[in-house]
Amino acid sequence: MEGTIVESLKIAIFCWESLYAERVGGLARAATHLAETLAKHHEVHYFTRGWIQDQTIKGVHYHYCQPSGNNIVEYCDSMSQGMIGNFHRFDKNRKFDYLHFNDWHAVQALHTLQDRNTILTYHSTEYGRNGNQFGDWWEYKEISGKEWYGGLIAKRVTAVSATLKNEVMQLYNVPDWKCDVVPNGVVPREFRAEIDAGNVKQAYGIHPFAPLILFIGRLVYQKGPDLLVEAVRKVCQDHWDAKVIVAGDGDMRQFLAERAKDLPVNFVGYIPDSEYVRLLNACDLVVIPSRNEPFGLVLLEAWSAEKGVVASNVGGLSENIDAFVDGVKVEPDPDSLAWGINSMMDDPENAIALGKRGRKKVDRMFLWGPIGRKITETYSRVIA
Amino acid sequence: MPAVSFGFEVHQPYRLNRHFAPDPKVKRKDLLNLYFDDINRELLLRVAEKCYIPATTMVLEMMDAGFSCAFSFSGTLIEQVEKWSPDSLALFEQVATHRNAEILAQTYYHSIASCFHDKAEFTEQVRMHANLMHDLFHTDPAVFENTEFTFNNEIATHIKDMGFAGIFTEGVDRILGWRSPNYLYTCRDIPVLLRNTQLSDDIAFRFTNRSWDMYPLTADTYAKWVAQSHGDVVNVFLDYESFGEHLWPETGIFDFLRYLPEELSAQGVSTILPSKVLADYSPVGTIDVTETISWADIEKDTSAWMGNDRQRAAFFALQAACSYAKDKQVWRYLQTSDHFYYMASKYGSCGEVHSYFCYLEGDDAFKTYMRILADYEERNIRGMKNRKAAKTLRTLSPENAFHFASPAGFIGYTAYNLDQFCELLHIVPKDSIQHHLDRGDFACWITDVLGDTNLAESIKECRERQELTNLVCEWRERLWSHLK
Repeated sequence: MEGTIVESLKIAIFCWESLYAERVGGLARAATHLAETLAKHHEVHYFTRGWIQDQTIKGVHYHYCQPSGNNIVEYCDSMSQGMIGNFHRFDKNRKFDYLHFNDWHAVQALHTLQDRNTILTYHSTEYGRNGNQFGDWWEYKEISGKEWYGGLIAKRVTAVSATLKNEVMQLYNVPDWKCDVVPNGVVPREFRAEIDAGNVKQAYGIHPFAPLILFIGRLVYQKGPDLLVEAVRKVCQDHWDAKVIVAGDGDMRQFLAERAKDLPVNFVGYIPDSEYVRLLNACDLVVIPSRNEPFGLVLLEAWSAEKGVVASNVGGLSENIDAFVDGVKVEPDPDSLAWGINSMMDDPENAIALGKRGRKKVDRMFLWGPIGRKITETYSRVIA
Repeated sequence: MPAVSFGFEVHQPYRLNRHFAPDPKVKRKDLLNLYFDDINRELLLRVAEKCYIPATTMVLEMMDAGFSCAFSFSGTLIEQVEKWSPDSLALFEQVATHRNAEILAQTYYHSIASCFHDKAEFTEQVRMHANLMHDLFHTDPAVFENTEFTFNNEIATHIKDMGFAGIFTEGVDRILGWRSPNYLYTCRDIPVLLRNTQLSDDIAFRFTNRSWDMYPLTADTYAKWVAQSHGDVVNVFLDYESFGEHLWPETGIFDFLRYLPEELSAQGVSTILPSKVLADYSPVGTIDVTETISWADIEKDTSAWMGNDRQRAAFFALQAACSYAKDKQVWRYLQTSDHFYYMASKYGSCGEVHSYFCYLEGDDAFKTYMRILADYEERNIRGMKNRKAAKTLRTLSPENAFHFASPAGFIGYTAYNLDQFCELLHIVPKDSIQHHLDRGDFACWITDVLGDTNLAESIKECRERQELTNLVCEWRERLWSHLK
């Protein structure tokens, strides 16, 4: 609450990636921004890995360890050991009030420190990452085992969407009372830029006024790029001038390029962040055709840039989009997707309006300030 | 049956010179001609002819017959009518001294100073306006009306401390909830009059809307709506220019206005002045306004002036220009809310309203604004104590600003001064910053444009983003401490 004095807490965050050292995917951004938000009122230490000196950025104290291992599981156990070592160095004078773990990587550390006030946040599950299927190889079993164990021993659990909450409740028997939904946040300015869309389109050999559809994400089955390619075939029948840019790389790229041979789809591969900002602000429509999406950060990024969104009616996307208010929701199949894209392209004015309303929703619900407050509410429930 | 209180906002800004280019030969005394557009005279004469003279003549007759209403004149308007339309001013003087009229207080420059972090400038401008009203019209306004009804708890407190008896703001649904705007409320112990959005917009926006099922609106229908309303007082507040300028005479707006008083009395509705409302009615509850609200658009917040990044960049640059404002007059003209309104990028029906009022396109408005602000600051540096720091911290024109890019081209982020540069170092993608670091662009810009060779030398040592950010931000703070 504004106006009331909040007690300053000492918080430890455990995450295997961070924005200023080892960075893998979206988790780095989410965990780092959360830490920076909390650091405005609290003392925050961030335990992660990295081959650089410990540093303090925007009030967050980063402590790095240097793990090693022959496989991902060994590597993460080694990382947990390193984190625990660092943790004890800073736990001496004033004890940490709360220990916040992100995903399964540091569950070994959670096990060692399980008597403290611990919180585990699920950003996704191994089952979801595997395309909503169980796996029978040992890494799958090991990792989902750690996800189950983490949920069992943590005093409190959060999930980034209600869908993910249901998923961990079903998969890992996490009881309902123990789990809160705390969505991800976004810093809208990082994705909103004042840019001449025509110039950017021309850089890709596209006419400045041609409608441009953007897909960004890993080219894997879970993200549904194949659905988009098939949908484009239909969209082109109604919109001969439509162009599609598919940004990102993955196992399916070869296959997709083959399928899209005769379609106006440009596979630009992996692009740096700056190019993403350019494309995001230049495009006319963002399509998120995922088959499974625990949260769907791209949605918040597209909204930040005030872009209309056509997204699959799954997971976090389904929860966060109000159909025809701030986006269009479709079934994850090519026909439905093509219908959604057409409905947006037939009425560009409306697409802009939906995008602007999306931005308003971001400003109201997905800024880090309010989300930081939600997290501290979860912290307070650990004791209660 | 409620009474009805009519209020009219009378304002014209000094629009900026669309064709401005820096000209060092122009002397200080001629600056106003360089910065402000000739179109101001033209537009004022047009508005005077279409609205101020015919409408005021009519309102004076109506007031003689017992109709009462409140007027709020901005200082920039008074200056312009003094210069270019003495006839209008003479009519306004008659209005001001009329027993059935009340003059309201506002900021002299119709400014957004109430949104500044430091409220000293705001209170100063309110005082300036009160003095103007006293000298010109021999009246001391008791009720305050902020620029476009911008309002929050803090503004309420300041206005109360300045001794005003009441304040106007918009009857915003999300603040009121189930409550009606047709009553008096208090906020931080000052009585608040709330504008009835519906009945005000029926005239201001819907009057000419042919797809509206109530079109065409006539005075008797409107009087019935007022009579059927619940509550103590219906506050109707409009831009005065609605009569004859936004709504042309051909729409029938003058006939509407002419017959309104008699239709109101036929329904038994009396008109009442704001200060009489404060005297006759007592507040029925309190409102708590933590966010900043206004009457603008459908958002009813400050997004009409500070809604996009362009507007925010200009707003923060304007606020920082305080340290450069030796000659405060130009700085204050630049605070007029209209300049920011022109920079908006709205869509839909609000976008149409925006484009009606704007004499130039959003992006041009922004660039013109920044060019003039930059020129103004640069001219003032000469007289400042720490010229070197002032030069480094000054606001830049779009031509001198730093445009972040990647090898592929501009990425859409521009820093118009060192403050914004620091902020953007946190925002701009890492690869763009690395690109500029590798090429030495930052050091060049800081040497050539900001003229700080020491900072440029230190930057050359930086290898990555974090190091650079820490260095520049510390440096910037030190420079500001020299300036203050």
